[in-house]
Amino acid sequence: MLRTIIAAHLFALAALGFALGAQAQTIKIAILGPMSFVQGEHHWNGAEMARDEINKEGGINVGGKRMRVELVRADTNEIQSVPDATNAVERVITRDKVDFLIGGFRSEAVLAMQEVAMDYKKLFLGVGAAHSKLGLNVEQNYERYKYWFRVAPTKDVDLARTLFAVLGSIGQQIRTDLKTDTPKVAILAEKAVWTEGLVAAAQKNLPALKMEVVGLWQPSAVATDVTAELSAIDRSGAHIVFTMLSGPVGISVGRQMGERNMKAVAWGINVEGQKEEFWQAAAGKAQFVSTLDTYAEVEYTPKTIAFVKAYQARFKKAPTYTAATYDAIMILKDAIEKQGSTNADKIVAHIEKIEHTGTGAIATFDKRHDLVWAVGKTSGIAVQWQDGKKVPFWPPNVKGMQPFKMPAR
Amino acid sequence: MFQDILVTGLVNGGVYALLAIGFSLIFGVARIVNIAHTAFYMLAAYCFYMLLVKTGLGFLLAGLISVGAVTLLSVICYRLVIEPVREHEAAVLIATIALALIFQELMLYTFGGHFLGIPSTLEGAVRFLGVSIPYQRLLILVVAGAMLVLVWFVLYRTRLGLAIRATANDLEVANLMGMNVHRVAMATVAISVSLAAVAGVVVAPVFVVDPFMWLAPLVTMLAIVVLGGLGSLKGSLIGALIIGYVEAITVFAVPAGAYLKGAVALLIMVIVLLARPEGLFGIAFEEER
Amino acid sequence: MYWLRRAWAELRNEVFVLPSRTLVLLWVAALVMLPFVYDDAYVLRILTMTCIFAIFAASWDLLAGYTGQVNFGHALFFGAGAYTSGLLSLKLGLSPWLTVWAGAAVALLFGFLVGYLCLRLRGSYLSLATLAFPLIALGLLFAFPDFSGGELGISGLRRLALTPTGNYYVAAISMLAIVFALWLLADSKFGIVLHAIRDDEVAARASGINTPRYKMAVFAIAAAAAGFAGALLAHYLRVAGPSTLEVALSFQVVIWGIFGGVATVYGPVAAVFLLYPLTEWLGSFPGVGELRLLIFAVIVLLVLLFMPRGLTPWVRDKIETQCPRCKQRNGAWKKICRLCGAALQTQVSRAQRLVGHQ
Repeated sequence: MLRTIIAAHLFALAALGFALGAQAQTIKIAILGPMSFVQGEHHWNGAEMARDEINKEGGINVGGKRMRVELVRADTNEIQSVPDATNAVERVITRDKVDFLIGGFRSEAVLAMQEVAMDYKKLFLGVGAAHSKLGLNVEQNYERYKYWFRVAPTKDVDLARTLFAVLGSIGQQIRTDLKTDTPKVAILAEKAVWTEGLVAAAQKNLPALKMEVVGLWQPSAVATDVTAELSAIDRSGAHIVFTMLSGPVGISVGRQMGERNMKAVAWGINVEGQKEEFWQAAAGKAQFVSTLDTYAEVEYTPKTIAFVKAYQARFKKAPTYTAATYDAIMILKDAIEKQGSTNADKIVAHIEKIEHTGTGAIATFDKRHDLVWAVGKTSGIAVQWQDGKKVPFWPPNVKGMQPFKMPAR
Repeated sequence: MFQDILVTGLVNGGVYALLAIGFSLIFGVARIVNIAHTAFYMLAAYCFYMLLVKTGLGFLLAGLISVGAVTLLSVICYRLVIEPVREHEAAVLIATIALALIFQELMLYTFGGHFLGIPSTLEGAVRFLGVSIPYQRLLILVVAGAMLVLVWFVLYRTRLGLAIRATANDLEVANLMGMNVHRVAMATVAISVSLAAVAGVVVAPVFVVDPFMWLAPLVTMLAIVVLGGLGSLKGSLIGALIIGYVEAITVFAVPAGAYLKGAVALLIMVIVLLARPEGLFGIAFEEER
Repeated sequence: MYWLRRAWAELRNEVFVLPSRTLVLLWVAALVMLPFVYDDAYVLRILTMTCIFAIFAASWDLLAGYTGQVNFGHALFFGAGAYTSGLLSLKLGLSPWLTVWAGAAVALLFGFLVGYLCLRLRGSYLSLATLAFPLIALGLLFAFPDFSGGELGISGLRRLALTPTGNYYVAAISMLAIVFALWLLADSKFGIVLHAIRDDEVAARASGINTPRYKMAVFAIAAAAAGFAGALLAHYLRVAGPSTLEVALSFQVVIWGIFGGVATVYGPVAAVFLLYPLTEWLGSFPGVGELRLLIFAVIVLLVLLFMPRGLTPWVRDKIETQCPRCKQRNGAWKKICRLCGAALQTQVSRAQRLVGHQ
């Protein structure tokens, strides 16, 4: 009799332990990025902030059960090797058995990573690669690619719309300040597939905006010396240098423009210019360089300022656009809680209809699972480097914006 | 545009000459294709950055210490890594590749993958023939010229230089004549890498510093050395100027094709090799039997 | 029945007598049996890529080791195969099973071209000239982005097989077939001519051998094998991009080749099988992962110091000795030669090793 009672108690304890163990199940999210580089760092930081915030509240509510978020850090090494990136994806899915994938940066690698994730029908939220092909795949083969969503940035062609909007406003400032009717624009775009469409669009639209295109220069993305280009641009008398640069050539441009005391002002995409390290990398010369960006201490969305301040306090640097892993995790949380399950198909259906107020954008998705572009919602902001600080200046109606400055003539 | 090409070609050519002559020297004397040559250039740039920005030493002191430290490191690496495997050419080759990779990864690990900027030694620019040349570039040109004169002096007016030239000419006979071939090789390594280190210190402020900055100059330098002829110092100098001007012409004449300047330089090298398989001033090595 | 007994006799007399051949047999068996024992998709992926890179490395060795034409731009052929196969299968909708052969064929043409251009070049000049070719190709690819996809390459390619196991077998069987074919080629009279060209081209020409023809032929064959490997990789990853033409890849295959042992087709294969999974395994640890290229380079350097001729010659010397009379290899523990009965004494063998390998 006694033995039966003890056995029953032991059995109950075991069952309780088992239930508690099952209760301690986590939602595993893999954060994929080039971890030795700045982009991967911010991927991870943004994700950590989201995870800590969610777990402090007890975790995600999955149909009544609270599950904590567990992050798996996966170094894709994508900048140096595309096969390494696909290996990392396969590893986190089969070895670490993650439920969701977030991240990616280099478009060539993300295209390959997307294939692996879709093979396993795992949700992959892209934060970093802008190439439209990733969304095009969703449109052309929905059943296979529907598990992909691009949370940040907007696809490359939408970036053009922001660029022209800001260009128009800068052009207007030049017209009033310099009393010239048609500002001259020199296009300085790195030779890459992603700039092709933008360059063509610029050459078509700028005359319509009453601006004259004085020339097109295309250095290599890894060029470290742009003296030739800048000398020629100087001679052409351009007022604006319209940049489309994603590689270290952006640093060279900023520095050498400053060293030559060029009167033209640089605006456009300068990915290196979005990083905090840019000012030091350009040896303090990149005054007035302006670029498209995502995060600043302005009220782009109601959550932006709080997020940027908390990020700065914790990691001692300002976030760049790859820190939108925070938004990605929050979107997942929203979808899981509303659907009451972690089933991929249900979450896909939910995210397709979501309108999520994130920290970098107010996100809605189109049929390519790309962000729908709208000023003040997903367009991003424009910042200018002034005396070592990134000063946001566009869209002008957002609280916290400051005026755009131009070099003295 | 013509003046731009003239000036830019000269400045870039001078930089390439610093690198190419050092590489050619090692090859001529020790028959080592030192893939890690530009990696030492990168190390010197990082050392200079650390001393200048982190410790706040003056430019001259930081520069001298960087060059000295990197030269010392190169001699140590030579003793530990290259000398034991001297007889196996293939092993020496990948030993230098492995060294370069180790340096790259160490820099990546210590400083991270992002780009660093070194403040210019000299600020401001001067206008010459209607072209604005920053003083830093003039400094590069002056230093390059000074180093080349110094190397010429060492090689042609000192006993060490005589030993180096003799060893380059015929290793076995030099050994038989009583020259300590190992020590001569070490001295050559030291001189050659110090040239690369000086290039790193003087050029790095103009470009950006990152752990992968050694790859692009490596290819251009190899093209120059092959074009000029392996082992020929005069060839390296002239090759450097040729490639410098070819790149400048590509960028200025075809602005939308600026990204092609590397490929064009390489194409020139291939064409020259087709006509002269030993390069412009190279010496066809007799097979050592 | 007769064939079984014949096979058993062959095995006993030809394979098991030498430790090295037994090892190779075990390795082949392990490769073939792996999916039955260990069905993990991740492990299969690593080994599939190892097999593909092993083809690449073996093809380099034929070129560099046997003919002495150390090629620093072998990635050109790899990329040529990848892009050709990718473009044909995407634009024309052909099946990958056909286009991989087309990829190899185009790479073969590139091999002829490069071989022809490098005919008059010797030694280091040839090495450094070959470095230029992939970079020129990269420039061309970037110049025509509509055709080549620029920095993104071509994506959305079809797989050769549908399951991870299927892809693994495609890669493994191809690797075994190609490496064995290359080894047979190197072990034949053709291979002897190649050795002659490397050791003393002038003497070879004086003996009446048409060395330019052989040099170009080797370039073509090596290129075709490398192109095949490139096409396989492109269809496995479903992306063919400029990463297939990178300088880093060319350097990587040089390292594999020399680390494993030049002028042995199996040496680079062994190197790839050791180093690639090792670096991948190191990469899976969170802290260590970022250091894996460093660890790889340090390992290579250390091994070089102790085994300057490469890994496989060193291992072979440890487990086998060469008979002083008939020059055939025997297991190291044997006292007398298996073929001619001469005494195998350690002092004699050591002297042999000082003079040079076979």
